Amino acid sequence: MTQAQSPALVSSRRRQWAWRIGATLTLAAAVHLLAVWALPRVIMGRVLSAAQPEKTSGVFLPPMTDASQRRIVMPSPDLLYATCAFDVSKTPLRIRADPKAPRYWSIALYADNSDNFFVINDREAAGKPIDIVLIGPKAYAQAPVLPAGARVIDAPSTRGLLLMRVLVADYATEKSAVEAARASLNCDALR
Amino acid sequence: MTAKAASHRRFGWSTLAGLVGLVVLATALGLGSAWLVLKRGDAFGARVGPWQANLLAGSADADLYTRARVAVGGLLALNRAETMYYVAATDSDGQPLRSRCSYRVSGPPPKARWWSLTAYAEDYFLFPNEPRRYSVNGLNAFIDEKGAFALTSGPTDPGVAGVPWLPTPGDRGLMFTLRVYNPDGALQAAPASLEAPRIERLAGCA
Repeated sequence: MTQAQSPALVSSRRRQWAWRIGATLTLAAAVHLLAVWALPRVIMGRVLSAAQPEKTSGVFLPPMTDASQRRIVMPSPDLLYATCAFDVSKTPLRIRADPKAPRYWSIALYADNSDNFFVINDREAAGKPIDIVLIGPKAYAQAPVLPAGARVIDAPSTRGLLLMRVLVADYATEKSAVEAARASLNCDALR
Repeated sequence: MTAKAASHRRFGWSTLAGLVGLVVLATALGLGSAWLVLKRGDAFGARVGPWQANLLAGSADADLYTRARVAVGGLLALNRAETMYYVAATDSDGQPLRSRCSYRVSGPPPKARWWSLTAYAEDYFLFPNEPRRYSVNGLNAFIDEKGAFALTSGPTDPGVAGVPWLPTPGDRGLMFTLRVYNPDGALQAAPASLEAPRIERLAGCA
């Protein structure tokens, strides 16, 4: 034999279930948005942590891409890369290059959320050397002294990555030209 | 222990268990729904034949979801003005691409300064292979008398005379990525106007 439940008890349980469902959905929505927001930052953070610059110039020159490259998804096997992991929180970064590659090249800057906030290619450079000063989003203790003629770019985040691409048709025959092109890249703290 | 204290203790544990269950369920729902949305290719951008273009890759205009999708499947992409990316995970008949099958990819070269077509495994990395051949591009592509390019892919060379072969060993998911560098203005303005390369499965799968 079952006892009839009082209306007050039924109402209380309904409220309790409504609260549980509402809280679960609200929290699920928050987790969903947080996961989608954080994913590119986490992946970029791993890339930046792994991008160990060479001690001399701050530029990392990986070998020509092949199947052993498993750090960044969808690597292009037709491009020779050079990278600089930058941190412009304390000083701006001065980026200089004078690539004389026979074909396409570009220098692209990425924020810590993976946005490509700047790119320049060989056509836009028109044979002139690149001289860029990358300024961080926060003010510096001392205003930086900008080199004459340098182009100023504002970085949306303090950390990020510079990626230089040099198109290679046949590495064996073009090695000296494309290697010299990417070796012309310098990333130095502007003091 | 009094009956009242025991009752309070039971109440405390059941409430805590309920809260933990709620948090676990909400976390699973949140992460699961994020994974499903990010895996949904339809939302990736313009579609032309079996190819999907991601139009906001790398751009500061990218929304939350585009940015996350790009981070998973195309980190450090260039923006649309510089490069357009078309990705195909099915053949032109809509069948999922498999590395153990052989395919012929052909079509007019994209109207751009330079292009390349690369085979990737389902994990977005290159297929290990002895000739170290991973892509065909506008500089080394075979172009027929009608001005169309062609390439084949598969675990073994199908041996089509003059047509380059991209080795795809094993039995894995396969995708092709077409990169179009410095695309013509018309293509940039209307990505679906690409004369999409056809992807045809050749007879038999190994």
